[in-house]
Order: sequence, then C-alpha cells, then structure tokens
Amino acid sequence: MLCQLVRCCVYCRGVHAVRATGLVKRFGTTTAVDGLDISIGSGEVRGLLGPNGAGKTTLLRMLFGLIRPDSGTVELLGHKLDHLGGDALDAVGGFVEEPSFYPYLSGRSNLRLLAKLDGQRAAAEEIDDALGRVGLGDRAEDRLSGYSTGMRQRLGLAAALLRRPRLLLLDEPTSGLDPAGTRAVATLVRDLAAEGVAVLLSSHQIGELEKVCDSYTVMRRGRVVWDGSAAELDAQAPQSAYALFTSDDVRALEVAARVSALRIQPAARGGLAVAARIDDMDELVAALGDSHILIRRLELTVSPLESMFFALTTDHGAEALDALEPQQLADTILAGA
Amino acid sequence: MTTLSPTAPAARAEFGVSEGVRNAYETELQKMMAQLTTRVLVLVCAIGPLAFAAVLKVQSGTPSDALFGVWVHTSGFAISLVILGFAGSWGFPIVAGVLAGDLFSSEDRHGTWKTILTRSCTREDVFAGKLLAAGTLAVGLMLILAAMSLVAGLVLVGPHALVNLSGVLTSPGRMLALTIVSWLICILPLLAYTSLAILFSVATRNGILGVLGPLLVALVTQLLDLIGKGVIVHELLIGSAFDGWHGLFTSHPFFGQVLVGSLVSLVWIAACLTVSWRIMRRRDFLTGVSGRGPSWTAPIKVVAVSTAVIAVLAFGCSIGPTGVTAYRVAYTIGREFNNVTLLQQQLIGRQVPANARLDIEPNCNRRATKAVGPGDWNCTVYVYLPQAKSVPYQLTSVEYDVSVQYNGCYKAQSPPAFLGGPTMLAAGGHNVTNPLFIVYGCFNIL
Repeated sequence: MLCQLVRCCVYCRGVHAVRATGLVKRFGTTTAVDGLDISIGSGEVRGLLGPNGAGKTTLLRMLFGLIRPDSGTVELLGHKLDHLGGDALDAVGGFVEEPSFYPYLSGRSNLRLLAKLDGQRAAAEEIDDALGRVGLGDRAEDRLSGYSTGMRQRLGLAAALLRRPRLLLLDEPTSGLDPAGTRAVATLVRDLAAEGVAVLLSSHQIGELEKVCDSYTVMRRGRVVWDGSAAELDAQAPQSAYALFTSDDVRALEVAARVSALRIQPAARGGLAVAARIDDMDELVAALGDSHILIRRLELTVSPLESMFFALTTDHGAEALDALEPQQLADTILAGA
Repeated sequence: MTTLSPTAPAARAEFGVSEGVRNAYETELQKMMAQLTTRVLVLVCAIGPLAFAAVLKVQSGTPSDALFGVWVHTSGFAISLVILGFAGSWGFPIVAGVLAGDLFSSEDRHGTWKTILTRSCTREDVFAGKLLAAGTLAVGLMLILAAMSLVAGLVLVGPHALVNLSGVLTSPGRMLALTIVSWLICILPLLAYTSLAILFSVATRNGILGVLGPLLVALVTQLLDLIGKGVIVHELLIGSAFDGWHGLFTSHPFFGQVLVGSLVSLVWIAACLTVSWRIMRRRDFLTGVSGRGPSWTAPIKVVAVSTAVIAVLAFGCSIGPTGVTAYRVAYTIGREFNNVTLLQQQLIGRQVPANARLDIEPNCNRRATKAVGPGDWNCTVYVYLPQAKSVPYQLTSVEYDVSVQYNGCYKAQSPPAFLGGPTMLAAGGHNVTNPLFIVYGCFNIL
C-alpha cells in the first residue's frame, strides 16, 4: 500500500517513466549500445526507430533487465533497475522480439501462470477480460502450439495488459497482425497513453509509428542520432515526397514554380512528383486553389519521419536528400525502406 | 480488439521476497505437472512397483543379484528393498534428470526466459522457485515409489519376517521401520542428483545433456566402483551415498556410511546450486529462442570436461585406505554363516538353543593379483562338528563364491552340492528359500 502511495506521488511529480543514462553494452568487440541516454515521460508515446543492428532490441532488453549494461544506469518509474529484476519492473509490461509462451499450455493457462508470477491471486476475471479484449476469447483453451504468429502477438499484448502497466515496452507489436489488429493496437496505445501510461514502441513500420507517437528516438550503430517530439521532427525533417494529381498538370507546374523551396516534376507513372516541406506544400495547395486548378488526389509517398529516418540512418545526409529531384527522392527513400 | 484501461500497478510491496519465491514455486509446479514427462514419471512410480511385484509373483525366478533379491517370494519387504537398490543405482538419477535436467534449458528452448523474468519476480525468486519445485517433485516421486513398493510387497507377498544382512530372521515390525528409514535416507542423495541435473541444465542450456547428465554420472559411478580399492574418492561420489542404508540391516548396525553419504550429498547440493546460481545471476538473456542459438560448443566442452574429470576420478579411486580386506570379508562371512546355518536348522524343525554358536573358521581369498578390494572372492568356511569319539570333532568345509562390491556388500553363493538348492523342504512340509544357498551381507568399509 505504501509502495502504491509512493508510486502515485512519483507520477504526480511527473518523474520520468524511463530514464537511462550512459548505457553501454558490448558483445565481444561489437558495441551494440554506445553511451545511450533516453528519457520518456508519463503518458508519452515514444517511437524507437533504427535500422537492423542499431541496438534497439539490446536497449529494450536492458530496460527489461534481461541483460546487464557494461555501464550506465536505468530508472523505471522512479526505481533504479538492477538486472536481476525486482521492484523496478512491477508496473512495466510488454515484450521484446516475439512474445514467447509455453506451447504445452493453453492461452488461458499461460496467462494464469504469469498472473501467479505477478502475485495476482484472483486474476481469473481479468484474464478472461484481457483475452476477450485482444480477440482471443474463443481460442483461450487452445494450446499455444496451435496459435498463429498473430495470435501469439495478441496473447503477448494480453499478458502485458494483465500487469496493469504504467510503462509499456513494445517491440514490433503489430508483427503478424492483420490490418484490423494493427489498427486496434494503435487505438489501444493511444488510449493507454491518454490515461498516463508511457509507451516505448519499437517498430520498422514507420507509418504505424506516425499514427501513435508523440516523439521519436532514432538510433544508429548503438547511438541516439535524433531525439525529439513529432513537431520538432516535422520542422527538422528533410523534404517529404508527394504524388499530386490535378485537373491541369501543365498549369500546376507553372504555379508550383512560384513556390521557391519546392521542387516538382512530372511523375513517371502519371501525375506530378513533389518534394517539399509541409509549409511549402500548404503554400502550393493554396496557390493551386487560387489558380482554379483542382486537386484530384494528393498522396504522401514519403513522410517527414521516413525522410528523417533515411537521412539519419544512412550515409545520405538531409542536405543530400534535399538536393534530389522529387521522383528521385521518393525512389531513393522507398528503395532504402 | 478494444482497449483495456490500466489500473493501479501490481503491488510488489504487498508481498516480500518469500512471497515471490512462493509464486515462482507454484508456477513451476504447475508447469511441471502439465508436462507429459512428469505425468509419465508419476505413473511409473505409482504402477511400476505393482507391476514388478506381480511379475515376480507369477514366476519362480528371483532377482538374486540384488540385495535381498532371493527373498522376494518370502517377504514383501524384500520387494521394496530390491526396488530401493535399483532406484539408488538408476531410478533416482533418471527421476532427477527428467525432472530437473530440462528445468532451465526448456526456458531457453521455448524462449520464455524473457516472459517470466519481466514479471514481478526477481531472478532469485525464479531460481529458488524452480529449485523448490524440482526438489518437491523429486521427493514426492520417491515417496510414491517407496509407498507403492511397500504396498505391492505387503499385498502381493505379505508382511513376513525377512533375513537381514547378518543372516538373522528379523521381525516384520522392525523390517517395516528399517525399510521406511532406508527410503528416507535416500532423500539427500536424490536431491544431490537433482542439483546436479539443475547444474547441467543451467550450464549447458541443453535439455538432452541435462536429462542424461545424472544418468551418465550414475553410470560412471558404477564403473568407478569396479576399479580401484581406495575409499576416499568412492565415498565422495553421489552414488555411494545411496549405499548408506545397507548398514542398518546388519545385527550390529553401522552408521558411518549414512553420515558420510549425507554430508557428501549436502556438499554436492551446495556446490551445484552455488555454481548454478552464479551462472544464472551473471547471464545475459539475449535472443528470442535461445541465448546462444543451436551450438555444439557447450556439449563438446561438457564432454571434454567430463572426460578429464572421469580420468582424474579413475586415478583417484586407488587413493586412500582399502575398504574391502580379507579379514573383513572372512569375519563377516563366518559370522553370517553361523547365523544362517542355525536358521536353516530351525526351518527344518530342529531345536536351536539360544545363543548357539558353531565352531567355524572362515578363510577368504581374492581371485586376482591384488589381495584386497572389491571383486570375486573365494571363501572356505571350515566347520568343526562335535562328535563323541576319540577325535572330539569332525572337520567339514563349505565353499562360497563371493562377489564383493566396493561398498562392502556381498552376495555369497555355494554350489548346490554343498548345501542344497535354492529352496528346501521346511518342517511344515512346504518349500522355503534355503538361507544357506545365497547369502547377502554387508560390512563397514570405513
């Protein structure tokens, strides 16, 4: 009880849900995480991005206490984490890599077992509730060995929710899920965040991250190469790429030429390819309207996050991306993705 | 899929470390009991003794190489003791291996370390919970085996008196008490094997090595018992601790082997669990399915280390004083021959005065170059029979082929020409086991 009171006070004070400083982890001669600092506030949904081998999974494993950092400290919800587990993980849920369970037990038995490990004695109703909410209510008695990847992913989410977490650490939570499941996860994350739960979401699905994240941490070669809010990212990102279909593409090109920081060209597959920052795009849309040119379709082919991610995690810098022609920009980034 | 509202965090402060261990313990028990291998073990321990006793009941043969084996048709306690002897050699290592050998490595195989170590319990909790669960089930299975072996013997054969390891007929009540105590004595060495299986499981992360490890150690122990004559290294092996109960079944019980075996078991338990915890504590839990992925490095290392250890042990088996000497063999055989001869006389209806003693002189020699140590011995028991003639006695002799084990227990068998066959006609006109034909005995090697 005292512990819960202290924890409430901790949230009232706005203590970081995650505060990791100076994390270093080496495997032999490879430095997987190199002096990493990260902090996440309560109710914040942080997207964790990086190419393969950037150190995202190693970071998540250190946050879960599964591996020991060679140096640095981790505080979760105000508790210092030692790698043997304990208090710091009490209100932390989630999974790293694919969720794993005991194949010889049913989904319900797996959750019952985990609830027991958490010290929850009367968790039967909560288990049913969690299973129902992730859409596994009718398959709860099936053995895990008969579950698909998506079903295991759903069970992983149910297991995380069962802990009534204040901090969720999720690694590719939509992997293997169908579109409806993916949308449901996004909704779930936003709802939890609205109630003060901090979420660290690692994913390669940039489009999904953009739907739910308030802020981003981009990693490359074990280091944080960019860290900030979604608004800061929009402001700092290189040009995005758009596919524009108008009622008169020839006149649209003439109008666009008057918007200085924007580049536009006819696209190979019809329509126009545009490379622009969001403000410039607003200006173009207004100018087209003033010129009575109808916009029939406008698609974001490369988002600010995608272009930022590409610039930060490849040897192309932001300036190099800005120098590319619109079609080339889209092709380069999409090919890289 | 809809949303689930978060509520107050699970309160670890409401339960302390011991509560965490209890949760982990209950979880492990639940997992283990859900597995087919555990259920099969329970079934074997429950039904196996009944099947064994039933098979013996319908055939005339006996497992005479096992201590008390020749008496399985005579007393139900012999059934339980034969099963205990087999369990000490092979059964308990198998139980320990199957229960604990995959306890930790299965988490690697299923990729579930990350699932359980990210809940509200520490590594200590999980480690302790697993140990306690494995220990509980191991002891539980042993108790089931003990109870069912007694039930099988007493129901199918009967609670009859049994000839002890000094050749003296012992009452059913005393036999029951001794049999129960003997099973209980084996708890510590069983837990030592369980700890060894846990060490194999933690160190190799390989279920096959974990399960087979204790069995291989038992096999090596059996082989080492055949070589060398020193007692020091032999007594330090877990398998030797299962021999401690033999001393209880002699007319002059000796407890040295029980004490040494118990201490040795405790040392093994402490050593195995300490090393296991150090490995577990320092471990990084890396990839999803297995920390190291499929690799033959660990098994090769284990084989290399095991070979080196076996070589050292084989060399060390000759170190220290010798437990099996001609004097000990001859003294024990002579005393026991006296007892079983008197017992035989009683069985055929002759009056035997209290404290009667034969005038005998045993002489034992080992059938090998070395005069001491376990192996095949030949004993000649010279009997001076009193007669009312000018020469006051008649000298006769009985030859015994004696197979002496490292632990001081032996089986002595005489050719039928000397003492008759395995059975004889008792005073009541029914066939009984001839107590002189095969004689079991034990002496103190310490």
